[in-house]
Amino acid sequence: MSVLNVTIAGAAGSGIAKAAIVLSKALIRKGYYVFNYRDYGSLIRGGHNFNSISISDKPVFSHSDSADFLIAMDKQSLENHSAETVFSHNNLPVAEIIKQLGAPAMVTNSVFLGALFSALKLPLDWLNSSMDSEFGKHADINKQAAARGYEAYSASKKEIFPSNSKAKHMFVSGSEAFGLGAIAAGIDLYIAYPMTPATPVLHFLAAKQKEHDFAAIQLENEIAVVNAALGASYAGANTMVGTSGGGFALMSETLSLQGISEIPLVVYLAQRTGPATGVPTYTAQADMKFAVNAGHGEFPRAVIAPGDPAEAFQRTVEAFYLSRKYGLLSILLSDKHLSESNFTLDKLPALSVKPDRFIAKPSVGYKSYEITKNGISPRAVPGQAIVRGTSYEHDELGHTIEDAPSTVKMVDKRKRKLETLKLEITKLNPIKLYGKSENTIVSWGSTKGAILDALPHMADWQFLQVCYLSPFPAEQVENILNTSSETILVENSSTGQLTDIIAEQTGVRITDKLLKYDARPFMPQDIMKGVKKVIV
Amino acid sequence: MVTGIGCHAKLYDYIGTSGIYGLHGRVLPVSMGVKLGNKELTVIGFGGDGDTFAEGSSHFLHASRYNVDMTMLVHNNQLFALTTGQATPTSPKGFKGKSTPDGFFERALNPLGTALINGASFVARSYALDPKLSELIQQAIKHRGFSLIEIIQPCITFDDTREFVSSHSYQTKHDTTDLQAALKLSQEWSYELDASTKIPMGLFYKQSRAVYTDNIPQLDGPLYKKKHTPNLIKIFDEFY
Repeated sequence: MSVLNVTIAGAAGSGIAKAAIVLSKALIRKGYYVFNYRDYGSLIRGGHNFNSISISDKPVFSHSDSADFLIAMDKQSLENHSAETVFSHNNLPVAEIIKQLGAPAMVTNSVFLGALFSALKLPLDWLNSSMDSEFGKHADINKQAAARGYEAYSASKKEIFPSNSKAKHMFVSGSEAFGLGAIAAGIDLYIAYPMTPATPVLHFLAAKQKEHDFAAIQLENEIAVVNAALGASYAGANTMVGTSGGGFALMSETLSLQGISEIPLVVYLAQRTGPATGVPTYTAQADMKFAVNAGHGEFPRAVIAPGDPAEAFQRTVEAFYLSRKYGLLSILLSDKHLSESNFTLDKLPALSVKPDRFIAKPSVGYKSYEITKNGISPRAVPGQAIVRGTSYEHDELGHTIEDAPSTVKMVDKRKRKLETLKLEITKLNPIKLYGKSENTIVSWGSTKGAILDALPHMADWQFLQVCYLSPFPAEQVENILNTSSETILVENSSTGQLTDIIAEQTGVRITDKLLKYDARPFMPQDIMKGVKKVIV
Repeated sequence: MVTGIGCHAKLYDYIGTSGIYGLHGRVLPVSMGVKLGNKELTVIGFGGDGDTFAEGSSHFLHASRYNVDMTMLVHNNQLFALTTGQATPTSPKGFKGKSTPDGFFERALNPLGTALINGASFVARSYALDPKLSELIQQAIKHRGFSLIEIIQPCITFDDTREFVSSHSYQTKHDTTDLQAALKLSQEWSYELDASTKIPMGLFYKQSRAVYTDNIPQLDGPLYKKKHTPNLIKIFDEFY
């Protein structure tokens, strides 16, 4: 496996994120695998941002901080980064080219991309075709800029390794995959209030709403968002909301209303670094216990943590499916690193479940909260029958009750629903095991990429990915951990929250933890070195 | 029907229709959601003064602006009753409740003025004991847009103002398409209960304007009847 890393750095607003996409798309169309990590601050212009792009002839899921090539759009970038080959205003007549072309400063990034293609001895028409699709009507001036950068670069050149594949790949961000999953699940309504890093899903779905006949709307705050979502879902709509930690906190009272009213609800939660505003455009996995426990009272829920866009797509459909079938709260737990990084996939996976609405033709005397053996009360919508949804404890018809036996009856019904759900989840691959070895790395969510890229370099280690955090696949996790000689948790948090959940659910205590809480995601090097350091 | 939490919300158990007995303060977004989910349903929200003007104040501001085709009936008894008698944003000056033993000295909110300024397209005030109230409610339901009726409904347990309200209120007679006249009326009573109080009752304002769903054709029809059959192969194409 050959990997080449390109870092593109500069001020916010200077087009580095776009350049990274143009470069990546030019290469994935020729059979390369690309992973693109975005590092940006909480401001719109200025500051220092960079994209770290890993290019490989084999699947690659992570980035690196040691670059082979650096495009430094400004002075700060030269100070913050280094690489074997550097493209900057110092060694390329960028300003002159822009001036001669009479082009806006925005095309500076394309001059640099031209130079990079020259250094890699890649044909310029790969870049041109990517620019055609990415820049639309602005493609021509960018192509001219790229051609001039290509000509102007004359220093050392090194041919890139061949891609070894004729097949075209998909280039998808986590956010796009969650959005695609929602479309595949037959979404009717997406409601959100903007909050990084959940906003890209709102943007993606807003752009797609007309074409696929659903609505994406923004309301006054997250409390309105989640309450409106419950209202719409009660009326029969396939509804999803999206937010990050702060907005999720505002929603938590209504999550509890979901629990007792049993109105289906899908929540997309993209974590960022907290507490409070924290480090808002950076990543963390510190809201897991919050997602598993948010809302007062006791009620069942599904908390699903995909580790890459393929899983994000498939699990989103599962989240919708479970929410409708069980009248359930389904939380899709992502983070900035998964949602805002771009991954190369051969294709998106097939759906694991059928995205049915689970709306039954109600019989005469329909009861919204019918006591059933499996705890699931058949779903109907207003207009078909008298349908009640309530925040009070209730009888089968949804009338308020306060007496002890009726209270216990309904609590028990919801508990039975949880048991039914637990059974079904065992069939949905709630855990995944990569490799077969005596020692185990346990992790969940976006750390998957760095761990998978590290794993081939770590003899004697296997990787257990926990995909369902609630209901917790206790037996399956316990079976693996009981036969593992060394076990270490890898998590983007300062406490290692999954160890607590595993202890609570299985009784197995994991004491070795590799934690990262500098607001940055893991890289394979961190895993390889870190595991060695912790396990002496 | 959608109710909040408070004495008003007991209605949920008195009326055998479809509905959501939601959370305190969240009647308006839940009602909006129901209407977006199925715009063929007639949606009526019920809230109290604490529910709508205190806990749910942000939603109240925006509901007028959105102009969702629904009716909101606010049962205003000028206090929190289900929590045994505390002040709300429309309590009268001097109100002595358990949380304000020395009297309530804040200025009251002006809910009807707020609704008018922010675009509510049907705004009225009535009295629970007024026999014409049911006709006004029917008008509000028939109106296409966000209809708000503030219903003065004295709490006979914690602050029985029935006699006062009956003797100090009057029916308005003005052009109900005149926003300025409506705004002026909305400022006539600041929820105080003194000798000079005059409480205007009746329809303040009515206007015909586009409702929220008019601009979103994807919300046509009950959404649960839609059969989405996305062509995934075609959708994926743009990612290659």
